[in-house]
Amino acid sequence: MNRSFSKVEALAKLALVALLAGGLALPAIAQTTITYADWQLAQEGWGKSLRAAIAEFEKDNPDIKVKAEPVPLAQRDVRFSTAIRAGEGPDVFALDSNPVRQYIAEGWVRDLTPFVTAAGGRSFLADFYPNSLLPVTVDGKTYGIPMNTVAMGLVYNKKLFDEAGITAPPKTWEEFREVSKKLTRSSTGTGTVDRWAFTIVLAPAGFDLRVSSIFRSFGGDFLTPDWKRSALDSPEIKAAFNYIIDLILVDKVIPPGVSQVDANGARRMLANQQIAMKIGTTWSFPEVSAMNPQLDGWNVLKIAPLPVRAGSISPVHTTLYQKSLFINKNSKNPDAAWKLVKFLTDAPRMERWWDDNAMLSSRRSVNEGYAKIKQSVPASVVASEIQYGAFLPLIPQWPQILDAIRQNLQAAVAGTKTRDQALADAHNEVNAILERK
Amino acid sequence: MPLSATPGGRLPVAAVPRDIGRAMIGERHTAWWFVAPASAAMVLILGFPAIAAVLGSVNLGWGSAKPFGVASYVRLWSDAEFLRTLLNTAIFVISVVSLHFVLGMGVALLLNLEIRLRWLFRVLAILPWTMPDVIGGIIFRFMFDTLYGGINAVALALGWIDQPIDWLGRPGLALFSVIMAEAWRGYPYVMLILLAGLQAIPREQYEASEMDGAGPWQTFIHVTLPNLKMMLIIALVLDSVWECRLFGMIFGMTGGGPGQSTQNLTLLVYKHYFQFFDTAYASSIAVVLAAILMVAAMPYLRIAIRRAE
Amino acid sequence: MPRARMSWALTYLALLAMAGYNLLPFFWMAASSLKTDIEVTAFPATLLPRTLTFGAYGRIWEQEGFVQFFVNSLKISGSTALLSALLGVFAAYGLSRFDFRGKRALMMAFLASQMLPGVLLIGPYFKMLSLVNLYDTHFGLILAQTTITLPFSVWMLKGYIDTLPVEIDQAAMIDGASRWQCLLYCILPNILPGLVATMIFAFLLAWGDLLWALCLITTPEKQTMTLGITNLVGQFRVLWSDVMAATVIGCMIPALLYLMLQRYLVQGMAGSAVKG
Repeated sequence: MNRSFSKVEALAKLALVALLAGGLALPAIAQTTITYADWQLAQEGWGKSLRAAIAEFEKDNPDIKVKAEPVPLAQRDVRFSTAIRAGEGPDVFALDSNPVRQYIAEGWVRDLTPFVTAAGGRSFLADFYPNSLLPVTVDGKTYGIPMNTVAMGLVYNKKLFDEAGITAPPKTWEEFREVSKKLTRSSTGTGTVDRWAFTIVLAPAGFDLRVSSIFRSFGGDFLTPDWKRSALDSPEIKAAFNYIIDLILVDKVIPPGVSQVDANGARRMLANQQIAMKIGTTWSFPEVSAMNPQLDGWNVLKIAPLPVRAGSISPVHTTLYQKSLFINKNSKNPDAAWKLVKFLTDAPRMERWWDDNAMLSSRRSVNEGYAKIKQSVPASVVASEIQYGAFLPLIPQWPQILDAIRQNLQAAVAGTKTRDQALADAHNEVNAILERK
Repeated sequence: MPLSATPGGRLPVAAVPRDIGRAMIGERHTAWWFVAPASAAMVLILGFPAIAAVLGSVNLGWGSAKPFGVASYVRLWSDAEFLRTLLNTAIFVISVVSLHFVLGMGVALLLNLEIRLRWLFRVLAILPWTMPDVIGGIIFRFMFDTLYGGINAVALALGWIDQPIDWLGRPGLALFSVIMAEAWRGYPYVMLILLAGLQAIPREQYEASEMDGAGPWQTFIHVTLPNLKMMLIIALVLDSVWECRLFGMIFGMTGGGPGQSTQNLTLLVYKHYFQFFDTAYASSIAVVLAAILMVAAMPYLRIAIRRAE
Repeated sequence: MPRARMSWALTYLALLAMAGYNLLPFFWMAASSLKTDIEVTAFPATLLPRTLTFGAYGRIWEQEGFVQFFVNSLKISGSTALLSALLGVFAAYGLSRFDFRGKRALMMAFLASQMLPGVLLIGPYFKMLSLVNLYDTHFGLILAQTTITLPFSVWMLKGYIDTLPVEIDQAAMIDGASRWQCLLYCILPNILPGLVATMIFAFLLAWGDLLWALCLITTPEKQTMTLGITNLVGQFRVLWSDVMAATVIGCMIPALLYLMLQRYLVQGMAGSAVKG
């Protein structure tokens, strides 16, 4: 009796010690907290979608806690740059392609090459579009991982096309002009035109993607391929420039007041059926549909590749938009941050970005393999256009250059400068900006 | 200083010199204690930054990398944008103040009459001025909107035009629109000052004029206007100063555009500070603006100081 | 008062025209705020809403965080008014009751500083406030807005104190009161309406300010109403109906307060140079 009791006692003591040791060890599995900053966290649809993904990530990685930080798009760069310069800033953040090169040049983003190599190196990157890796790769080093890539196309209202007797979207800009004249009319019969064919974005918000697409589809570009000098004196750009102004002033197929139209305004016009076509991409569908549910946007709107200039052989005829993820140079938890980056850009998440937000992925396998994307006509069209798209010049002075071009185009439209003068001024101003560096 | 000369019309009492109180209780320096807090605050929040701005414009003061020099001011006179903006500001102020005078005078004359429900019309008369200026700018931005604005809608409905007018997209029209908007918003200010002046005109003068057989227009020229001279100067000077400094209204309505056609000096300074980060140049423009305002306000300042003593 | 020679009909017609002209933008603002988002962007625009909806008000209140902006503006404008009144009433008393060397210059300083453009000061303010960590804070904004309200408050309050005869002070002092007690117990109670009017005007000046808020506040949650409304235009997906609803709210308080105070308006505007 005594001996068995002492055995039980010993066992109990052992169990107690084990429990204590275990109890003490548990808190040692510390929790790391990382911050993730994204302007789309502030948007209704995207915000929900991202947060759901983050919740899943936290479930898979119980030792990591993610703090979501929405940041307004207009203040994003100011906030990030001030914080990072001060040694702080979010661990993981998202950027569109415009400021990426500046961030890399300033040393604000971490070199991800070691992580990429550990994840498979070239085979890891092979699934991403080669185009999409361009902005985030410098000197062979990978600084960011692409998340969403789309190309700009021509969004049009099929119902209005049918009413005007137009059977197919225009394939050349010459056809486009003919089509536009048919689409511009008065729906009330009073003689006042209240339906137009098209609009263009001349206000700052959204100007870059849309006007550049037109320039490119004419076979020209803003800068020479080495991004060192202006290419605005090429005959292709001159043709594009004049074409845009003709649409506004001569054909009048664009509603008056175009100089104040921004991306949001263009969507509103399409939603209200005041225009029949606009330059957009997959995101136009949910956006415009939300603006006017009665329009039945998903059924009535279609997207086609941008028209090109007849006979143009340029391999690039549209502009790409891309969102990528980066890790802060100052991050104290780079490993946890990398896990989040990898998670948000893996194939299952890419499918979710389409389901929730109608945004294509930067992964070729998803765009070409995911059933729902393949079934969606708009998505397939845009996906196939990605190979024909190029990014806007990835240089730090880009915002200034853009503004010079925009102001001169506006001046030509308003008539304060002649067209040739405006284009020449734009060309000279851009060169001056590039030389100033 | 005799009491009866002080403003507000006090009860006439025996002239008691002010400093009797002081002498009696020996409070020579008490005055300073009273004005010190506000004066110190003024020096800190107004004087110091103002001087810093002036110094900054000649590259003195903190943070200046370059040596002292009037380069900023020299640059002004060859800067086409500055000269254009100066012209814009002049056109804007002259047009707006003129319209304020016409509208203000007219309504003041109306409100000076014996009319029923005068209190109601008085309330309606000052309504535009109660609107914060940037909000006014935004509302007019919408009203003048080419497709969605009310102005084009009314003009189209009345058949005055058959295509919407691009008010805010064409430089000349934009300046016109901004002037119209501010004419609406600011005229009650002038109206109130003129109304106060009108109400102070002694009735006998009008009665005398009537007995002389003068018509309304002649009465206006010979009785009303001369009596209003002082108030007119005050009203127009103050109004000009306000309109030179206008920021929110134009910022909200056009942001200075299209191009720079509605940009005034205030917006130009803001642009150079916060878009181009060119502090020395921005300060120099601001100093020029401040100098213009001070010079323009001289008549009013002299009158006001004299009256207030 | 001149007996009107023109016919009464013409007079009332003119008054009605004035009323209509003044009310037009308010009407547009209110009507637009009650339209659906599709109707508010219809071409050509409708004048009266075909379908009445209060959706815009609901949206800006919940989604855009306007409650916060409204509260911020109340807090900041109120504090500015209080601060100016406090400092101002002391200075006004000193300027009204005493003669001293430099008084004229000081009065000129208070008066002339109202003519200084705010843009002159925004640059140095930016640096100054950053140095003491007051950039992007409500307190910093209050200090900045005081540059507008303080000179004005001093001037207005001096006018009111001037209307009270010096005998009041002297009577009190003979009874053994100090100057400070004079101010507190004799002067202040008598100028209470004027003091309140001054504070409300200062409040309104601060409420309508955009320049300072624009330059000194970057965090969205700290914005004032005017700044919030400005940023609403041109944001990602904002509708004119929402913007107009916001402006209705932004206009109501100033309109109400100014209308309550119209009696004091003339004195406030032209200073004591105008016989009230």
